[in-house]
Amino acid sequence: MELVRDCLDKQLDDSSKRRMGRVDGIILELEPGRAPRVAYVEVGVTTLINRFSSRLGKKVARWLRSRGISPDPFRIPWGKLKIGLNTVLADVEAEKSPALEWELWLRKRVIGRIPGAK
Amino acid sequence: MKKILEIALGIVTSVGGFLEIGSIATAAQAGAEFSFQLIWAIVLGGICIIFLVEQAGRFAAVSGRTLPDAIRERFGFNYFAFMYAILGLLSLLVLAAEIGGVCVALELATGVGFQWWAVPVALSIWLVIWKGTFGVIEKGISVLGLVTLAFVVGAIVMHPPWREVATGAVPSLPQHDSARYWFIAVSILGATISPYLYFFYSSGAIEDEWKETHVGVNRIIATGGMTFGSVISISVLVLAALLLLPRGMKVEHYSELPMLLVPVFGEKGFWLLVASLGIACLGAAMEITLQMAYVTAQGFGWNWSENQKPIEEARFSTAYTVTIALGMLPVLFGLDPLTMTVFSMALTAATLPVSVVPFLFLMNDYSYVRVYRNGWISNAVVISIIALAFVLAVVTVPLQIFGGG
Repeated sequence: MELVRDCLDKQLDDSSKRRMGRVDGIILELEPGRAPRVAYVEVGVTTLINRFSSRLGKKVARWLRSRGISPDPFRIPWGKLKIGLNTVLADVEAEKSPALEWELWLRKRVIGRIPGAK
Repeated sequence: MKKILEIALGIVTSVGGFLEIGSIATAAQAGAEFSFQLIWAIVLGGICIIFLVEQAGRFAAVSGRTLPDAIRERFGFNYFAFMYAILGLLSLLVLAAEIGGVCVALELATGVGFQWWAVPVALSIWLVIWKGTFGVIEKGISVLGLVTLAFVVGAIVMHPPWREVATGAVPSLPQHDSARYWFIAVSILGATISPYLYFFYSSGAIEDEWKETHVGVNRIIATGGMTFGSVISISVLVLAALLLLPRGMKVEHYSELPMLLVPVFGEKGFWLLVASLGIACLGAAMEITLQMAYVTAQGFGWNWSENQKPIEEARFSTAYTVTIALGMLPVLFGLDPLTMTVFSMALTAATLPVSVVPFLFLMNDYSYVRVYRNGWISNAVVISIIALAFVLAVVTVPLQIFGGG
């Protein structure tokens, strides 16, 4: 498997095949004397901005923190992933994970309050 | 029989999406200023969009993926973000022009200034998307859009000199106002090769659950729909050449547009023009709005489908709601819809390379399209479109300065 080609930026679905985002980043663990090991994949806006510019990423993270919002991306252990042809399947429940935090917030506070949303 | 109905409906839908404020305005300006001489630009743009739309549909039918989805995956986040930023700004501008078009139609019908209609029109668009399904938007509005056939009937009734019309399909050098001639040519190409058309089409193929068996149907729909749409645009140009040019009208304001149909159909012509303009722009505004929400949701991996309840995909619903609100603002602040239209069409031409280049890679990638990869003809056409897109990107801004006024 080629990590970047087959995993990075791929559609990420949860255990009930619900779309929960994309593989925004891949975390490797480096230990002296051992080959690098894939530890997690990340989902989150700060990971994406870091790929663009790490300086901008730090600024956005600081700004989010100052507003009481956690800038930390959601990490899924590599062992919980199944890499498919079109999607990466994660053995997690999207609605109970931070990946859908904004979706649930919008659903509850904005969209759900507009008549005809249900 | 079911297949024939599907093809017929598909062609009607494609026509509905094709004709919008940009193609009407640029074709009318071309006819009013350069007679039949710029028909070639519509023909060239039509050929390009046939190939791009066919490929977008084939890609979706075979791979089960949309273009933005594959662009994010194949080209990475940075390229996607670059394309998204350009496409987003452009789509908002084109959306503003389309909302402006509906408002102008309502101004023509009622006499109430166009900016007063901005909020009601935006709310109506939002309501249809909020309550409607993909089928309602795709087919309902498009069928209504058939009223634009009035332009074709009008052009035939006026008995144009067919030999001159045919000659116009061959590119020729301008005899006067060169900068203006090339600027209108570029605007026509921008209006015809609209990225929203192929992005929306690829999402539509997934919404309609197209499979490999739809490859043939897709080819007929893309070719038929875009050809039919080009014929309507050419009819607008022909009518402008026959009716506006002799009167010295240059389509500097939308209030001149009724003159395209009034001399042919009398008072009915006025209402046909109002209906054509209003419905064509309304349909395009809905497609552009949805396209923005699709690209956003697909690029970031959110849940998306116009066939689901808004609450089941809150981020997707928020995306189209915000898009409509932003698209409405320029009209609300009274920016001239015609200026926005011409400017956005030229800018579309200038930014074409960003959305066309991925076709060359995606349509030759076995892992996506398998045996349905592009043949040498399709690849040659895509390379030519990319070359044309780069030329347009370079010449648009100078032409905007020297020929846009």
